[in-house]
Amino acid sequence: MTADVFATDRADPCAADLAACARGDRAALRAIYEREAGTLIAVAARIVRRREVAEEVVQEAFVQIWRRAGSFDPALGSGRGWVFSIVRNRALNAVRDERHVPVEDDALAAYAEAATDVDDAFGRLAASSALRRCLGGLEPRRRASLLLAYVAGLSHGEIAERLNVPLGTAKAWVRRSLLALKECMA
Amino acid sequence: MSDPRAHPDLAGEYVLGLLPPAEHEAFELRLATDRPLALAVAAWRDRLHELDAAAAPIPPSPDLWAKIEGAVAAPQGAATAPAASVYPRAEAQGRPSFFRGLWESLTLWRGVGFAGAAASVALGLVLVAAPKPRAPIAIAVLLTSDGVPGAVVDIYADGESLVAPLQDVSVPDGRTLQVWTLPDVQRGPVSIGLMPRAARTRLASMELPAPKPRQLYEITLEPAGGSPTARPTGPILYKGYAEPPR
Repeated sequence: MTADVFATDRADPCAADLAACARGDRAALRAIYEREAGTLIAVAARIVRRREVAEEVVQEAFVQIWRRAGSFDPALGSGRGWVFSIVRNRALNAVRDERHVPVEDDALAAYAEAATDVDDAFGRLAASSALRRCLGGLEPRRRASLLLAYVAGLSHGEIAERLNVPLGTAKAWVRRSLLALKECMA
Repeated sequence: MSDPRAHPDLAGEYVLGLLPPAEHEAFELRLATDRPLALAVAAWRDRLHELDAAAAPIPPSPDLWAKIEGAVAAPQGAATAPAASVYPRAEAQGRPSFFRGLWESLTLWRGVGFAGAAASVALGLVLVAAPKPRAPIAIAVLLTSDGVPGAVVDIYADGESLVAPLQDVSVPDGRTLQVWTLPDVQRGPVSIGLMPRAARTRLASMELPAPKPRQLYEITLEPAGGSPTARPTGPILYKGYAEPPR
């Protein structure tokens, strides 16, 4: 073990825990759970809308994390980012499976909450954050198009409906917002 | 169209979860081998991660860890939910909750617990029991959402395919397995035949171009007689891509 490895562990303890998971160390999975479960449930809940479904998503994700830990590649980003991406993917899958279940009132309520969540997610970014500064520089509805996709898991069509613009406009807003964000954060 | 800004940043849209289902699928297959693309995805994850990290935590239910620990201790394939359909937005009429319940039924999964061990044995059997020494032009190994081999598809030059399941799956009454491929993203998934029981099945010749390297194949659970929409509507059991044998 070199000093560099310890430095990396401190910055991204998930990476070390994932390596231990790949060796069959269940305590390392527990460590990830203790540190991240609450935030992961919150992220899943913004997408799937229901807390119990969010917990199911996180449960499935942890099983997947355990089984796939060996495929985590530190050269492709942080361990923490990898863990979150697995939860995000499962949440998106869950919501797309269930979105067509006809529950009008729930759907309407969920729509309202999505807007609140999106504002909240932006508002919670640290004042010093480059992401906050760059998102803040976008025209509000363009910023919303990007946040509705990432935070609330909406599709292009749903974003268009939500922002009351044609589908092509919603797609163009997302596209330009991504470009602007990438340039701003470079 | 000549404006470069008119073209989408696919890595960014993928991380936002915005790629249409078939494109999403094709993109993930590319990611496995396209390093620059994987790095572009990693960069987008890093840029946006703070939105997730800053979320106000919701305390887990007291029994959540026990459920995870139980699932982790169970045999592979026995405790996890399936990959959701890669074509979820294409078939709004798919009665998803019904399929979800079906998937989670024990009947369907009975026998899958041995998948890991059985897969290597079955793979051997496929090689030994091949009826005639006709060489496929491409072979697709289809995996479960946990990366366990679930079926092998041999594709022959005349368009015929031979599907060999590597897991025991009891197909419920009124349902069938259906085999699909994705010749190109524009055209979308194409059915190459039904497999009413999880047994070695020969699928008649198809008027499809020879599979391209890394062409997607998958098996879904559909109503008997096949998907009513000519697109996958049920859960994906296995998916993977074809390669010519070396």
